[in-house]
Amino acid sequence: MLLAPLVALVILLFLKDEQKFLIRAVSLVGAGISLALSIYTFVAYDKAKGGLQFVEKFELVKTFGISYFVGVEGLNAPLLLLTGIVIFTGVLTMWELEERAKEFFIWILALVTGVFGVFMSYDLFTFFLFYEIAVVPMYILILVWGSTRKEYAAMKLTLYLMAGSGLIIPGMLLLYASSGLNTFNMLLLHGAKFSPWVQKVAFVLLFFGFGVLAAVWPLHTWSPVGHVAAPTAVSMLHAGVLMKLGSFAVLRVAMYLCPEGFHYWAQLMALLATTGIVYGVFVGLAQTDLKYVIGYSSVSHMGIVCLGLATGTVDGLNGSVFQMFAHGIMTALFFSSVGFIYDRTHTRDIHELGGFSRIMPVASAFFIIAALCGAGVPGMASFWAELLVFIATVKVFPVQGLLAIAALVVGALFALRVVQTTFFNEPNPKFTHFEDVSPFLGLPRMMLIATLIFFGIFPQTMVGMIKSAVVPFLQGM
Amino acid sequence: MNDVMLFGPELYFLGAALVFFLLTLKKRVDPKTDYQIALALGVGGLVVTVLCLCQQGEMFFKAYRVDLFSQIFKFALALAFFFVLTISHNLAHIEERYHAEYYFFLTTTTIGMMMLVSSVELLTIYVSLELSSYSLYILVPLRRGDGIDVEAGIKYLLIGAVSSGIMLFGLSYLFGATHSTYLVDILPKLPQLVSSPIGLFGLLLALAGFFFKLSVFPFHFWAPDVYQGAANQVTTFIATASKAAAVALLLRMVALGAGYGYDFAQALVILSIISMTLGNLVAIIQRDFKRLLAYSSIAHAGYFLMGILTMKEAGYIASVYYALAYLVMNFTVFMVISEVAKDGRDLKIQELAGLYRRSPLLSLSLIVGLFALAGVPPSIGFTGKLLLFTSAMNQGYFWLVLIGAVNGTISLYYYLRVIYCSYFTDDPSLGPVAISTPTRILNYALIVIVLGFGVFPDRIVELAKAAVKTVL
Repeated sequence: MLLAPLVALVILLFLKDEQKFLIRAVSLVGAGISLALSIYTFVAYDKAKGGLQFVEKFELVKTFGISYFVGVEGLNAPLLLLTGIVIFTGVLTMWELEERAKEFFIWILALVTGVFGVFMSYDLFTFFLFYEIAVVPMYILILVWGSTRKEYAAMKLTLYLMAGSGLIIPGMLLLYASSGLNTFNMLLLHGAKFSPWVQKVAFVLLFFGFGVLAAVWPLHTWSPVGHVAAPTAVSMLHAGVLMKLGSFAVLRVAMYLCPEGFHYWAQLMALLATTGIVYGVFVGLAQTDLKYVIGYSSVSHMGIVCLGLATGTVDGLNGSVFQMFAHGIMTALFFSSVGFIYDRTHTRDIHELGGFSRIMPVASAFFIIAALCGAGVPGMASFWAELLVFIATVKVFPVQGLLAIAALVVGALFALRVVQTTFFNEPNPKFTHFEDVSPFLGLPRMMLIATLIFFGIFPQTMVGMIKSAVVPFLQGM
Repeated sequence: MNDVMLFGPELYFLGAALVFFLLTLKKRVDPKTDYQIALALGVGGLVVTVLCLCQQGEMFFKAYRVDLFSQIFKFALALAFFFVLTISHNLAHIEERYHAEYYFFLTTTTIGMMMLVSSVELLTIYVSLELSSYSLYILVPLRRGDGIDVEAGIKYLLIGAVSSGIMLFGLSYLFGATHSTYLVDILPKLPQLVSSPIGLFGLLLALAGFFFKLSVFPFHFWAPDVYQGAANQVTTFIATASKAAAVALLLRMVALGAGYGYDFAQALVILSIISMTLGNLVAIIQRDFKRLLAYSSIAHAGYFLMGILTMKEAGYIASVYYALAYLVMNFTVFMVISEVAKDGRDLKIQELAGLYRRSPLLSLSLIVGLFALAGVPPSIGFTGKLLLFTSAMNQGYFWLVLIGAVNGTISLYYYLRVIYCSYFTDDPSLGPVAISTPTRILNYALIVIVLGFGVFPDRIVELAKAAVKTVL
């Protein structure tokens, strides 16, 4: 899975700029193989047995106890599947890209290699290595192929994320050093009994470090700006997958290695998450740029993920991981449909687009479905995810839980208003000559919708998978 | 025969220096042949140092020790020497009749550094250090220019002279306190001197000479001017070989301070923090690319100290690894400079505009090199930096690591600005940059090394581990 995008990347390096079709084909095949493998691991994973499966392990640096150690379990299998789907549809979405296409696909494949690596790594060192690989290509991707204040956005995003890394490194090394085991293997580090003080300090460093990427309020400000500036596929990958890296890392590293630190800081986590949800909903609705609307809705949805983590219960974690998956697919759909509209009309202004559904019914339908999903309509994957999180939250943090639910209800109302102004007003005569989505370009969006509905109708396939890992995870804490 | 092998690299480079000396005597100026001879000798130097890699022994009344540690650094020096020669094919800013002199002094300074990394006796250390420094004092103002070369030369000479004066003063303290100039004899006697400040003071002063070479605060003032004022190739040599040699010697000397524990390490912690913070902050406002790299080298000196001051095996391994890594990645960036600035001018950052179009390969090398310097994975610089941080954290320097990590973020800002210029801005008036086939191969090789050893560092780490055993 890790190898496929990497091999495609190397092949791309040696292709010429002129061979446009070949470049795209190679990237698509690379992404396709990753998708196939991620589906395979998801299906072939033995839930009854649980634990780590498909393990690969060899030593990288003996002296410092660094090894390459990857595996799949219930927590990361959904996220691998998510990454596979999003990269595949992302490459399809960017099929029309003309400008410096080769470099674009090289960077995006590098990014995906990093993402896969993070989800699978069980060695802290390689985990962080892949984490950085996933983060850095964003700068160039936004800078070269982005739009709307891209220089500012790219620099802001990179510096924010790097400042996050500046917190992660000391936190991570503090755990390594104080364990005295001379190993970066997370399973072994988990067994080391850290003193409460170390756990508290390390947890706060790791939480805020990774939290930057998960857009935890108040560290979220890079995220809407970055989403708006990034090209479509990058927004998809970024909001869909990259932000999940942050929340996944909080779960996998911070909570797993410092349980006591987690219990100590859980209140703060829940508070920040709730603030993020409420803030994201209200600020998002004041926006007139469609991408900003989605950007802020991501902030609030990631707040839900974080809230679920903060509960530290089986339901909460289940919902949280499920929400990571559902939100990833949903945002990818959002950005991909907005990207399509923007490529044609060169505007994302809600009022200017007014009544768009009469011009491009199919493209609008994609957006509306995503909006419904975002509002948590039953029958969609995110309904179950949000339900689980809220059930758990109301039990553990009643006040925050009720606040968050209220915010979401208000949010849903307003979301419908956005949909109404954008798609069902009088059509803007400027755009009447545009054609609707062709079947080929519609394909990736259809795939995303199918995924959303599939897991909306059969949530048990996903919840069962996640649960097989969450239960032992919590017992270990 | 065995002794010849022991002293092999030094003898070889001495021979090479003689050849260059003869070339300087020639009446007819023929830079092309000179260059070919130099390149051939450079390759030979690499071969000889590799052959002598596993030599072990002591010479010259035990003042000179040949072990894996020294031999690795000799190889690194030969590599840097060879690297610099590969970009010396257009010495645009050095007058043609001085080309042979340029090679000659480059060789002598390499010999000086080679002797430096093997020296285990105070006077030998001092003499070798001066041999390498004096050659550089001449190389810096060799550039034909607009006065900035002379300014650079004088600054380098003055600060260099002052710091070696301080160093000599410190050495005399060490000798006075322990009655010996041999590191092996000094080492066991130092712990007894803990109560008196003379040993600590002497040791810190004695390190001044290497702090100067490594451009550690407060001996960093020369770096920006010399980097900018010297010819690009000479700057490259100062920025690569000279740093590696300084790190090697610091590792040997600082091991002496292990007995002092807290005080001595704290002094180094402070120097390390000031160096990296100062270097990174000032680098942000630079416009000239070489000046920017000069400040980045000051910041890197801080990172090096981080590994050195742990005085433990892990820290030393990390330092050796990072020294080798730094040599390669810094050279990658300098190679891009000297290829883009074919006429030998100082490169403004803005002049990199549109590099992705003018030469895709060079722009790729630039990105790889800069990302490695900034510590972005999967490069050799990332692994090295993380190993350094790990070793410092292992000794409980939490704040040092925190500040180091924050510094990493700051440094990324100015590296990204350079990348921004080369990838994003464009200037139609700048034509494409032509690169020859050997340069092309060199580019690929460097990229592979920087990325390859970043992902699979084990081999080098094991080598470094074997090497530092002989020092501690």
